[in-house]
Amino acid sequence: MRNWTKFLAGLAAGGFVLSATAALADEIRIGITMRMVSENGQKYGQMVMDEIGLINEAGGINGHQIKATLMNDECKSDKGVANANKLIFQEKVHLLVGSTCSSVSLPIVDVTAKAKVPQIIPHSTNAKITQKGSAWVFRVPVSGRFYAGVNAKYVGENIGKKIAYICAADAASQNDCDAMQAQMKSQHGTEPAYVAQVQEKEVDFRTHMQKIKLAGVDGIMVAALAETMSRALIQSYEAGIGPNVRRIGSSSASNAPVPKISGDAVKGVFYAAAYSNADTRPIAKLFNQMVKDRYGIHAPDHDFSQAYDLIRIVEMALNNSDLKLTNSSLAADRTAIRDAIANVKNYQGLASGPISFCADATPQCRDGNKTPVLISYRKGGEAFETEVLARVSMPEDFGL
Amino acid sequence: MISFITNFTSVIESLAKVHRLLPWLIAYVLLLFLPNLITATFGEYYVDLANRCCLFILLAVGLNIVKGFCGQVTVGHIGLYAIGAVTSALLAQNYGLPFWLSAPLAILVTCLAGLVVGLPSVRLEGAYLALATLGLGESVRIMIAVTPALGSSTGIMMIPAPTIGDYVIESFDHYFYLVMTAAIIGIYFSFVILNSSTGRAFKAIREDVIAASVSGINVPFYKLLAFVISAIYAGLAGALFAHMPPGYLHHNNFTVIEMVTLLLMVVLGGIGNIWGGVVGAIVVTVIYDQTKDYYFYQPLIFGVTMVFLVVFMPRGIGGVIEQAIVKRKFIEKHEEQNLGTS
Repeated sequence: MRNWTKFLAGLAAGGFVLSATAALADEIRIGITMRMVSENGQKYGQMVMDEIGLINEAGGINGHQIKATLMNDECKSDKGVANANKLIFQEKVHLLVGSTCSSVSLPIVDVTAKAKVPQIIPHSTNAKITQKGSAWVFRVPVSGRFYAGVNAKYVGENIGKKIAYICAADAASQNDCDAMQAQMKSQHGTEPAYVAQVQEKEVDFRTHMQKIKLAGVDGIMVAALAETMSRALIQSYEAGIGPNVRRIGSSSASNAPVPKISGDAVKGVFYAAAYSNADTRPIAKLFNQMVKDRYGIHAPDHDFSQAYDLIRIVEMALNNSDLKLTNSSLAADRTAIRDAIANVKNYQGLASGPISFCADATPQCRDGNKTPVLISYRKGGEAFETEVLARVSMPEDFGL
Repeated sequence: MISFITNFTSVIESLAKVHRLLPWLIAYVLLLFLPNLITATFGEYYVDLANRCCLFILLAVGLNIVKGFCGQVTVGHIGLYAIGAVTSALLAQNYGLPFWLSAPLAILVTCLAGLVVGLPSVRLEGAYLALATLGLGESVRIMIAVTPALGSSTGIMMIPAPTIGDYVIESFDHYFYLVMTAAIIGIYFSFVILNSSTGRAFKAIREDVIAASVSGINVPFYKLLAFVISAIYAGLAGALFAHMPPGYLHHNNFTVIEMVTLLLMVVLGGIGNIWGGVVGAIVVTVIYDQTKDYYFYQPLIFGVTMVFLVVFMPRGIGGVIEQAIVKRKFIEKHEEQNLGTS
């Protein structure tokens, strides 16, 4: 009996300690779940937290402080869902930011839709995310459906139509690969010269490269996450495929580890992204300098710029929301934030084009950025350099 | 076949001891109040955590049957879990089967897979068996990753939640009743198996294969049976995981890291100790959840814990508690004897 008493007392004490961290009124709560298993991944999260910290230092949002909770989902859907549940039901967040990986964002869309919590996506490009028809989701990055259209147009007109594909088994890369093949077919009527489905963390591409070499292709598309892509690029040269065969990257090609690991093998690789550090606009120069000073990154990729744009959009939306911030107004506050984000029109930030949202729960409304920029690497290694090849605004219903 | 019928009879005999069911029923009834208690004390999210604990309890108890009772070093359990999950998800999605039909069929498919995973155990031992089962488990994950029909890179979405009539079991607390019932039944049956002649045969094989064989135990049959029984647990856990809202599966849910985490649960709880497996599953799941803020150090925490356990607590938490109980009984017995002699 005494043991039972001890157990219940312990349970109550534990509950008291945990409930001390429960929701407080008068603060705006933002939950963030991201893939932070790499150095860059951690820096994306850190930058979001730092920017929120600066908003708080400047007086917050209409006098209210933002309480941000950052969590790592390791690019795993079950962990992402657990994070989302914790942030929504335990932390009682008003807004959820996440995730980096499409395979994590996809299930979280269902969680936020059911719980009626606005979700804004910083990095995921898989087209299916906004095609689910959730009224609570917004995407800051360029959707994969737009990237494919731009890539295919440029490749067909400037490089050739005989393209080989190496597609890694992560959601974003697979989506980029499939969409590119579909666009090459619809725009130029061509079938892939060679397709290799590889593991997410594949290390040996030599056999595929030998076959690609024999196929005599005009270009090779490598759709994979940063480290995997780098290996494929290096091994393509080891296999004797010359620089006259252009290498096309998926959107991950913009991530800093690609030029750093690939070295000279990255020269000439082009890809569609949302931001180029070679951008000459004053805002881009200031941003590049800020990232360099704060995080030691000499050329930020588009995941940095997208995270930064996201915070600016969130700041605008929160400033335009009539929030009560009481425990009883949580649902109404969440709805107000959703509606305020939906009212963001023509935001001009670091992205290659304007970001606009609207109220309908459709990809046309919720894929905010419709302007991919084509970027090419001029130099690899630690001090890599890029150049902008083209900037194309796509029709909102493209690729649907 | 004859030995199987004999063993089946022995299991039924164990089940017939109805009076042993009473504490289980009491515990079950008490656990029905747990979601309300957790929500009131800690918050709604912790019911979701309890759901995940129940899933891992099923997995850990199932792994304990093949690893702890029978002594077979398997590292392919997560592969079976994946087969159960994907099978149930596809049956529900493509053929419109309700959970109550898709889950048993998924368990059946997982049993067959368990038989395949168990086949190397007939000829292999120790590290070789571990490698073979690891290969099979990883093959399953890769198959899921590269096959569009199995979800491929995007995963399987919109897997329907279980229903009872028109009611959809999707809230944390109602799903808890489902996974908790499965966990309780799973734990109970593992005790039934352990206390039957089948369980004794498993333990005999674990202690000494040659001696067991000489004693007339059909070693290959029992090894395969252990794998099949553990597959039932993995298949059920997989089906429950697949249908748990938001109903999404991805091959990344079934990596070697998950297998290592599961092994840690069993080792922490105590290999061959049923309650140890339960405690291990709860402790590891909760610790993992509560240390999320220190994500950078998590692998280090788990690695050091594993080394610490192997060196200082090779029998796990369950083993330590068991040892304490034995010691206490021994002291009490001696005290009684001393009192009797004085």
